[in-house]
Amino acid sequence: MIRPDIHPHDGILVAKNLVKVFGKRTVLDNVSLAIEEGKTTVIIGTSGCGKTVFMKHLIVLERPTEGQVFFRCNRIDDLRPRQLAGIRTQFGFCFQMGALFDSLTVFENIIFPIQQHRKITDYKALDELVKHKLALVGMDGYQNQYPASLSGGQKKRVSLARAIALDPTVIFYDEPTTGLDPVTSDVINELILKLKQELKVTSIVVTHDMKSAYKIADRIVMFYHGKIIADGNADHIRNHPNDLVQQFIEGRVSEADLAALKLGGTKYQTQFLPEDFK
Amino acid sequence: MILAFFNKWTQGINNLGRFSRFIFAASKCMIATSFQPKTYPLIWTQMNTIGVKSVPVVMATGAFVGMILAVQAYGQLAAMGLEERLGVLINIAVVKELGPVLAAVMLAGRVGGALTAELGTMNVTEQIAAVESMGTDPVKYLVAPRVLSCLLLTPALIVYADLLGILGGYFVSVIQFKINSGAYWDFSAMHVEFWDIGTGIFKGVFFGGAIAMISCYKGFTCREGAQGVGEACTEAFVGCFISILALNYVFAVTLDAIYKTFWPLRSLI
Ligand SMILES: Nc1ncnc2c1ncn2[C@@H]1O[C@H](COP(=O)(O)OP(=O)(O)OP(=O)(O)O)[C@@H](O)[C@H]1O
Ligand SMILES: [Mg+2]
Repeated sequence: MIRPDIHPHDGILVAKNLVKVFGKRTVLDNVSLAIEEGKTTVIIGTSGCGKTVFMKHLIVLERPTEGQVFFRCNRIDDLRPRQLAGIRTQFGFCFQMGALFDSLTVFENIIFPIQQHRKITDYKALDELVKHKLALVGMDGYQNQYPASLSGGQKKRVSLARAIALDPTVIFYDEPTTGLDPVTSDVINELILKLKQELKVTSIVVTHDMKSAYKIADRIVMFYHGKIIADGNADHIRNHPNDLVQQFIEGRVSEADLAALKLGGTKYQTQFLPEDFK
Repeated sequence: MILAFFNKWTQGINNLGRFSRFIFAASKCMIATSFQPKTYPLIWTQMNTIGVKSVPVVMATGAFVGMILAVQAYGQLAAMGLEERLGVLINIAVVKELGPVLAAVMLAGRVGGALTAELGTMNVTEQIAAVESMGTDPVKYLVAPRVLSCLLLTPALIVYADLLGILGGYFVSVIQFKINSGAYWDFSAMHVEFWDIGTGIFKGVFFGGAIAMISCYKGFTCREGAQGVGEACTEAFVGCFISILALNYVFAVTLDAIYKTFWPLRSLI
């Protein structure tokens, strides 16, 4: 799946030969990927394989050890923070853990990017805007709460509302449906589809939820240990010959993992018996 | 062994470089912030949490310093029959050294720890990354208002410490030791110069700057997890404390030299 000759104009966001090393660990190993404009790209892969790190490179929250990132054909990974600030207003990033500002209310969290980049003149309209964004994720009415008093899934939805506050052209979702009930998950899926259809938003979604991936994806990319091992539309992934891909989408444990579990099991199996707790 | 030592060294120098760059960036942002009315509310909030809420603790520190000085020095001076000059000793010690330094140390504990913990938690929960991802410079949004309020308010807090130190010393001297109140003030007024008070307050600007810069830097570079935040707080406090004392030494030497070039002779009695 390695495409050696990727070009900056292949997509709205292009990562070329990205390598990222943390200490001695290579987390991204020569990743090249072009994100197409107006499409939804879903990134899947086992926990810890570098999906979040990869997404952070696309908005240059992390600087690559090697390789380049291009946004609309311009190189962005070597820009100064001030130059990046302008570009970042076109991005919305929904963090895996929400990353809401816990000293601000939900309302203040959502108007934060607006306050920073626009001159606010009409406070009524602002109220309406926040109400609208929160309603999109089913969180209207929580404006005056602090993030600490929200549940995990609610935080995630507020963080989603914040990510779309500035009407960005590219939205990054880091596991938007993890920790949500099936119904709310589907609301988020519909939201992603709606933003794509109505506003031609480009979405990059990291998810472990294959049902949601099949529903929203124009293209699915699978990472494995910092490399791309599969790349294609939903059908391509469903029928992918690679066993690693099949294991992942079926949620099947590999022989090696099973063997390790068995080994561990025998060791502790008889360590505690119900009598021990009497 | 040698390699490990060498590594430690390069790491230390690296950190120093990063800290200097942080100071540089923060100072730049601070100047920019001072001219943007949009950010004044942020500074205002920080001034409230950093400055206003520190007033009681700083006042208590000052009062006790003054009172203790009176108690400790009275015996010595009384033995020489100089007890009426107690005020000179207390007031010079308070406004020149003890007021500023102890107020700054209290601030380092109260404010420095809180700043590091707050920013450190924001760092490990990705809130700082979130600020950045929305196209706002975290140094400008988070650090500049904090440093600015510390810079501006530490001198003000030192004034409080000085005031209470002077009053504390006065009450102990006059009420407990029955020193003549008029003589106490006259001698004090004769010997405590505007220079002493002024330099004490002036030092506060630098103490405040050091406290805020070190604490914010430690918060920004803090390691993951509750333990990381805890360590960062400890390091921040120790760093603030040492740099306050070191700065104070530097000021003592330079200010003394400056004073001597203008007013060659001065005696305390
Ligand atoms: N700042 C960092 N410093 C050091 N190592 C890091 C850092 N960020 C990530 N890593 C490492 O990079 C690897 C990939 O992390 P990443 O967060 O991208 O995983 P992920 O694919 O998003 O996993 P998950 O699905 O669990 O979120 C992990 O092993 C992690 O330890
Ligand atoms: Mg992740």
